[in-house]
Amino acid sequence: MRSEKILEQELLKALPKDRNSDPAGLHLANLVTSVSNKMVPVNSFSRIWILGSLQARVTFGYLAYWLRSRFSDAEEKQRLKSEAHLAAALQLFGTMGYLRGAVMKVGQMLANLPEVVPEEFAEVLSALHFEAPPMHYSLVREVFLDEFGREPEEMFASFEQQAFAAASLGQVHRARLQSGEEVAVKIQYPGIARTIKNDLRALRLLLQPLCLTRDWEDTIAKLVDIERMLLLETDYIKEADHCRQARTVFVDADQVVVPKVYDGYSSKRVLTCEYLLGCHINEYLQRAPEQAERDHFTTLLTVATYRLYYRLHWLPADPHPGNFIFMPDGRLGLIDFGCTLVMNDEEWCDSNAAIQAALDRDMPALNQAIASACRFNHPDEMAPDHLEVIRQGFCWFMEPWQHEGLFNFGDKAFFLRGIENVIEAARKRYTRSVPMTIWSNRFTFGGRAFCYKLQGRCEFRNIFLGESAWQHQKL
Amino acid sequence: MRISEQAKHENRIRILEKAVDIFTAKGFDATTTRDIALAAGLAAGTLFNYFPSKETLAMTMVTEALGQGREDFQRRRTGDEDLAEELFLFVASGLRRLRPLRPFLGPVLERSLSPFPRKSVCQEGEAARQEHLHAVQDIIAGHGFAEAPDYVAMTMYWSLYLGILAFWTNDISPNQEETQSLIDYATRMFVQIISGVVPGKGEAHAE
Ligand SMILES: Nc1ncnc2c1ncn2[C@@H]1O[C@H](COP(=O)(O)OP(=O)(O)OP(=O)(O)O)[C@@H](O)[C@H]1O
Repeated sequence: MRSEKILEQELLKALPKDRNSDPAGLHLANLVTSVSNKMVPVNSFSRIWILGSLQARVTFGYLAYWLRSRFSDAEEKQRLKSEAHLAAALQLFGTMGYLRGAVMKVGQMLANLPEVVPEEFAEVLSALHFEAPPMHYSLVREVFLDEFGREPEEMFASFEQQAFAAASLGQVHRARLQSGEEVAVKIQYPGIARTIKNDLRALRLLLQPLCLTRDWEDTIAKLVDIERMLLLETDYIKEADHCRQARTVFVDADQVVVPKVYDGYSSKRVLTCEYLLGCHINEYLQRAPEQAERDHFTTLLTVATYRLYYRLHWLPADPHPGNFIFMPDGRLGLIDFGCTLVMNDEEWCDSNAAIQAALDRDMPALNQAIASACRFNHPDEMAPDHLEVIRQGFCWFMEPWQHEGLFNFGDKAFFLRGIENVIEAARKRYTRSVPMTIWSNRFTFGGRAFCYKLQGRCEFRNIFLGESAWQHQKL
Repeated sequence: MRISEQAKHENRIRILEKAVDIFTAKGFDATTTRDIALAAGLAAGTLFNYFPSKETLAMTMVTEALGQGREDFQRRRTGDEDLAEELFLFVASGLRRLRPLRPFLGPVLERSLSPFPRKSVCQEGEAARQEHLHAVQDIIAGHGFAEAPDYVAMTMYWSLYLGILAFWTNDISPNQEETQSLIDYATRMFVQIISGVVPGKGEAHAE
């Protein structure tokens, strides 16, 4: 175990720095340390939270930085008061154990950036993501009795008592059906949905007094949207439904597999799917696959996500590494449709208008689309620099779309430019936006971080042309 | 008039069945022994030959349900459970059997299991407590403790258990799932206390 001292130093190195008010990052480091050293009354979910770890603190740090930037020009007295609330809010955030998945994801993204975060993070992070799950078998059995009126052994030909994977809101067990199929059974912690609701309500109350800037409503709107998506993830019936729909848009030749859902074995709290044999990205990379193979999987991933985007108008808003399975026969498995944003017509039109404007290099249309996404009526209402920074980010997003031939997602300079843009926007507090941007950002950065790690290339433009052609055929 | 053992047995069962319906419909406090006797087709006086009070009647149901819960527990145990898990299974199996009685159980348990000194101790309640604690001691003994836990530990256990019961009778979450996390947490906590283990910051999962 490394000492607290070294932990502090690494924390300092890894935290964002505010050029004016906190150039060394000391203030932020103190805040994070004071929060993480305080005792928190735990509940049955927060036991799994890892407040002590460096990566949790760094993620905290980024959150604190983002929140603090919203009141850094306030009066000194007001600022101190706000900091106290901020600390309390972070404290609460630290007990929200079920968010560990989300926190890991942010951390994982940072871990791809050696300049920002020390290398060794990557290892710590991947180790943490697959920690042992905390529901013992007797609790699992009670959930089964409540959901189906039967014990797991009565329902399945065999059922492994030990979970093989942790899910964000539960855990996953392997089992075999009476008819012989191998399945993965995801089981949710009892009571988690309500815990999420209560926690987020409390978090909003704590953040309320920070209401100092004009963007406050924006922050609240985003919190509400996060709550909505988190609660969506607690509904496995909905997830099963998404899974079923997703299966309909792929054929064998696509080499993309969405697991079959077994309805008789699924409910709001239990989801039983076909087990997909394969491994996650880290294990896959350890085998040092050839470039052609990496490109193959990058292609499948791109086809898969844009198929869902164009045919179903979905944003897989949680493209984290655990959701992609590298199958031994070269197919790509897609699991976890819990966090899927189904765009409404307006969101879909807005999203497409922006893409089309960028493809057509139609500046006025692009500026208008960006203004709308940032919740302005017209580009003129935005400060020129604001518009410029956000537009740069969007153009970065669009680069692969405009590139003929193979696009290299493993290009470090390319990836870093995207991250730098996000950091710049956060630093300049250009964060006001429609809530959907949280998910589209996660979609973009999650997917690109994955392909970056994979060091993969694909004919992105051709893929997008192929997938988007479908909508024209339909008309 | 003397009636056969067989008829007595049937009457007893009928009274218990009817009582569940009426308690559920009217609530425990609003139900009179007369209501129950009437529903069971007996004279009010006859009912007292079977159950001296409605408290006894209700507590008999509880005791029987908990007895069934203990049998379920014995049958369901795999023998692989650690202590906290086994206690969880024990408590959860009991609650599952109590579930049909839940709608009217609050006042019943409050009266019959109250830990505070009372003028007249409810015999059934006291018996239920003893049986429950014995079962818990047997479970603990099966997990390598050289001595039985003392009265302090058992009092602590009983307080936790009463707390769980109280919470459960009021739990409005679907399938009382919040009670399940409470049981999980309470049993882990109890085991930590009697094992003398100081809980770490993030328990086992924080590596
Ligand atoms: N059908 C499946 N076949 C093989 N493995 C699976 C399957 N479903 C789930 N898993 C394993 O369980 C893990 C968690 O499952 P899943 O992603 O569905 O849960 P989740 O609640 O959405 O969690 P998270 O948000 O962390 O992904 C996966 O990363 C994978 O390792």
